[in-house]
Amino acid sequence: MSADKSVQKVTLTSNEGSTIEVDRVVAERSMLIKNLIDDLGDDAIANSPIPIPNVNDPVLRKVVEWCEHHRNDAAQSADDENDSRKKTTDIDEWDQKFMQVDQEMLFEIILAANYLDIKALLDVGCKTVANMIKGKSPEEIRKTFNITNDFTAEEEEQIRRENEWAEDR
Amino acid sequence: MSLASRRAAAAAGGPAAPKPNSILQTLQAAEMIDSKPVLPAEILSAILDYLPVADQVRVARASRRMREMVYDDTRWVARLRSMGCWDEAGARRRFEEVMMRRRAASGAGKGTAAGTGAGAGGTAAGGVNRQSLLFDVGVEEEKRRKALEKQEQQQQQQQQQQVAEVTDGFETMKVAGTAHTAQQDPSTDPEALLQVIKNARSVRGLARQEYGKIYGALAPFYFDLVRAKTHTDPLVFKVFRDPERQAQMLANLRTFARSDWAQGAQKREEKVATMTSIFESAVLREFEQGYEFWDVDGRMNKYAHVLALLNGSSAAIELFIQKHPVFTDREVLANSMDCVNQALADSITLEPSRRFFEVLTRKVNEQAGIIERIFPNPGQVFWAFVDKVREDVVMEYATPLFDETHERSIPSYLRAVSGIFEQTLQFLRTLTPPKGAEAQQEATARELALKAFEPHLDLYLQDEIDEFTRQAEHEVGEWEKKLSEQEASAESFYMAGFTNRQADKKDFLTSFKKVVMMPVTVLPTTLTTFSLPGLPLGSPFATKPSAAASTNGSNTMQSLSQLPSRSQSPAPPVQPAVDRSSSPMPGKAPTDELAAKAALMTSRLEGIKSLFSIEVALSLVHSAKASLGRVAVFIQLGGQAGGEAREQCEAIFVALLRILSGKHVKPGFDRAVAHLSQYNPREVSEHDQGGVAPLVTFIELVNVGDLISQMIDVFYEQQLAGPKIADRNDFLDPAGLAKKKFEQMLDESVAAGLNKGIDVLMDEVEYICATTQLPTDYNPGAATSPDPTSSTLSFEKRASTIPGTVTDMDIGPTRTAQRIRDLVASHTSMLVGSTDKSMLDVFNGEVGLRLFAAVCKHLKRQRVSTEGAIKLIADMNLYFEYVRTLKNQDLLAYFKALRELSQIYLIDARHAKEMATIIADGDRFGGIFRAEEVYEYAERRADWYQVRKDVERAMYGLECCLM
Repeated sequence: MSADKSVQKVTLTSNEGSTIEVDRVVAERSMLIKNLIDDLGDDAIANSPIPIPNVNDPVLRKVVEWCEHHRNDAAQSADDENDSRKKTTDIDEWDQKFMQVDQEMLFEIILAANYLDIKALLDVGCKTVANMIKGKSPEEIRKTFNITNDFTAEEEEQIRRENEWAEDR
Repeated sequence: MSLASRRAAAAAGGPAAPKPNSILQTLQAAEMIDSKPVLPAEILSAILDYLPVADQVRVARASRRMREMVYDDTRWVARLRSMGCWDEAGARRRFEEVMMRRRAASGAGKGTAAGTGAGAGGTAAGGVNRQSLLFDVGVEEEKRRKALEKQEQQQQQQQQQQVAEVTDGFETMKVAGTAHTAQQDPSTDPEALLQVIKNARSVRGLARQEYGKIYGALAPFYFDLVRAKTHTDPLVFKVFRDPERQAQMLANLRTFARSDWAQGAQKREEKVATMTSIFESAVLREFEQGYEFWDVDGRMNKYAHVLALLNGSSAAIELFIQKHPVFTDREVLANSMDCVNQALADSITLEPSRRFFEVLTRKVNEQAGIIERIFPNPGQVFWAFVDKVREDVVMEYATPLFDETHERSIPSYLRAVSGIFEQTLQFLRTLTPPKGAEAQQEATARELALKAFEPHLDLYLQDEIDEFTRQAEHEVGEWEKKLSEQEASAESFYMAGFTNRQADKKDFLTSFKKVVMMPVTVLPTTLTTFSLPGLPLGSPFATKPSAAASTNGSNTMQSLSQLPSRSQSPAPPVQPAVDRSSSPMPGKAPTDELAAKAALMTSRLEGIKSLFSIEVALSLVHSAKASLGRVAVFIQLGGQAGGEAREQCEAIFVALLRILSGKHVKPGFDRAVAHLSQYNPREVSEHDQGGVAPLVTFIELVNVGDLISQMIDVFYEQQLAGPKIADRNDFLDPAGLAKKKFEQMLDESVAAGLNKGIDVLMDEVEYICATTQLPTDYNPGAATSPDPTSSTLSFEKRASTIPGTVTDMDIGPTRTAQRIRDLVASHTSMLVGSTDKSMLDVFNGEVGLRLFAAVCKHLKRQRVSTEGAIKLIADMNLYFEYVRTLKNQDLLAYFKALRELSQIYLIDARHAKEMATIIADGDRFGGIFRAEEVYEYAERRADWYQVRKDVERAMYGLECCLM
């Protein structure tokens, strides 16, 4: 069965309509696709491509690349989320390199990971973003996340003061 | 908010972004929106999780939405929880308190309003209740006010803030202020710093502020420590000088590191751990030096406390235990082989081990005091120490002993395991742990004992039951072998005096109980075998000696081989008591008393020797008891091991019953029943003994069977049900089942035997009737008849010619009747008390009925003259009196009728009419005999042909016709 799975192919269609053929195990890194296959059955998948309408072609290829690399990772367990210690795991080298893309692409990958429900990829993305904004000023943060400042200067100053304890020394 | 809607909003409302200060700015914003995708809230939140605290706060300054996200209480609760200083229950309680207070406040307002208005509207009780409630709240409030004053304010403000959605930073400012002061001069208030984690409170809505306090206090030290190059650099060691505080702070930092999960946290934590371990090893060195100088109250005490503050002082404990002199103490380390070497061959004495444990207890108790002086947590250290003692000293001592004995002889192995185990448990229980550790002593003792004996337990339990089974089977086999050797010689039976059988049995059982209740001697000293001198016996045949071997639990096999060999002649020469034992040892009263009684019983029950022996049963029970006693000490362990031991106990009991019933009692009964069925009264020459030999044997057997059954019952109650090994109420309990099965087997055997027994008894009765009843008994007139067989013919004439010339004036019952009565009575009385009442009743009823039938049949064969009738009546009275002793009303009616019936022979021939009336009077016979039957009996009158006409006339009313 598992041997079967590894050779079985699945076709994915991005929102532009281009198709990518991947091994089934690779596609199943995405919980969304995995559940979909489980629900529809093998035959339906073998014959028709799976549409991924929220993800465009370059991003999908990037995601597939990541999945190919991580095809043999242990499946994440449900209670990983509760384990805060897990979060400290640093980003491994390959992932760091993989995430060296422009910010737009990074966000797109995160969104795609979120949509396709690939938790590990989402985590890597979030960590990358966290590293990106580490040590930045509020203004830079606003810029990064495209946030409009709705504080008055006094208000902002007050927040700073009430959290003075957290400032770097 | 979903991505799509945000995007749509962004696309549509791009130009309409809030506060468009200038066109240019707006354009710029729109452009950015177009080019960059926006992350949804949950992803932003996830990103925040990976940010260090400082950056999170900066993000909070980006916008209101971001602030809300960062300020989210759960985020900070998680951090507090990771440090183990968030108390969810406490937080909830606080929250509910606040809610209650608010409700109470509003309720009280209403209540007072209502109270003034409606007066005593509510019931008194209700009022009181409410008041007390309010009062409680008031007190509580007062109590907490001081402690929580600030917090309360903040809480209320927070709530106000939530309600009004007003953003004022007043309360948070205050927190920031306190934290600020703490962090500004940590050196002036280091105590507060040390306690900061301990002092953290769990208040909902204030988790960020609480965390802020801790962070403010510890983060400087933390990041400083992480940056430090050498172990002298860190601020921790500069600010705090004495090792206690340094340790405390390091412990705090380790805790704090757990709440840090931003990138690189692992490295930071490692760094903290490294620093801690450097510190720890330094302290440990100090401790070790103190140890070498045995500076208990000085350095050892001090540094043990430092280490306890740091990380529970496990390293110090380990060091203390590892290097402890007790493990190399010559005095303690005894040679367990003494137990084997000092004992006789193939035996074991546990005296050396007892001394060993005594010394050990003393030593360990000494250490308890020292441990208390050194360590802040003496209980834990002490038990760790004891565990080490258990592993290194006790097991080192026990294991070779067990191995050795297992090789040499299984019985001594069994005794060694059980004995050492008991001593170990005793040792662990009698230790005097330091204060505060007494509560767990029992549990710990059990746990340690289990640990020590776990490797041996399975083997031991298996060996125990194997050994028992082997021994028991051997015993039974031995007995049977002996029996078959004797089989060739003729068997003779004799009756013991069964006058006070019940008393004997009671006596025996009392002794048995005494023995059973005696504590198991796990440490039997020497083998004791002794014989009993010949006992005075009630039976005339019992002149033979009864050499009995004591069944001293431990050496049943030997005792068995000494069972007296039974002499075959009824009166053998008196032999001196066989005394084979090397050392006759008096003074073990109950056991010996029991043995004596067993011997007495045996000699009384000599007759059934060939079937089964109560002594064998007794010795089986004894070895079972010894095995049980040994296994039962393991039950104290509780848990799985205890359960296994308990099962093993039951298994031993079941094995006992299986062997006893299957191999000993049942075949005995079978043989006895076979004897019974082969019995033919005509082939037996001797009938004078007053009993049917096989039946006597069988009844004796029933008695013994009952005795064994009672013995088993006592054993079960005392050994299994008493100490809660077997559950009396559990009908699936194997021991209970086995016991029931055994009893059932016994009952069935008894029932089957009795069935046969009745047949045999009646055969005997009929035989006696046929052989001993003289024709002249009931018909004295025919005595002179030369030919008894033709007497009926000549009788009539003689009776009519010489009436009343009977010389035999004896009006007592005939000899035959007496013999029959004695025979039946002796057999029925033998059973009294040996089987249960209902079975006895059935047996007696059956015997009575059959006796009645036999007597009737016999009567029909006789000729009865008027003179002989007196004898007949006497006979019938005899039977009647006997039956009355059986206390069976239904049966009594039969014999009453029989008695009435016998009177028809007394009526003089002249009163034939009256005779007819009697014959026809059904009531007279209580419905037992019909008129026709009575008529038949009347035909047996010697003068029947003379009176027949008159009688018939009177009966059938012919009188009228003829007259």
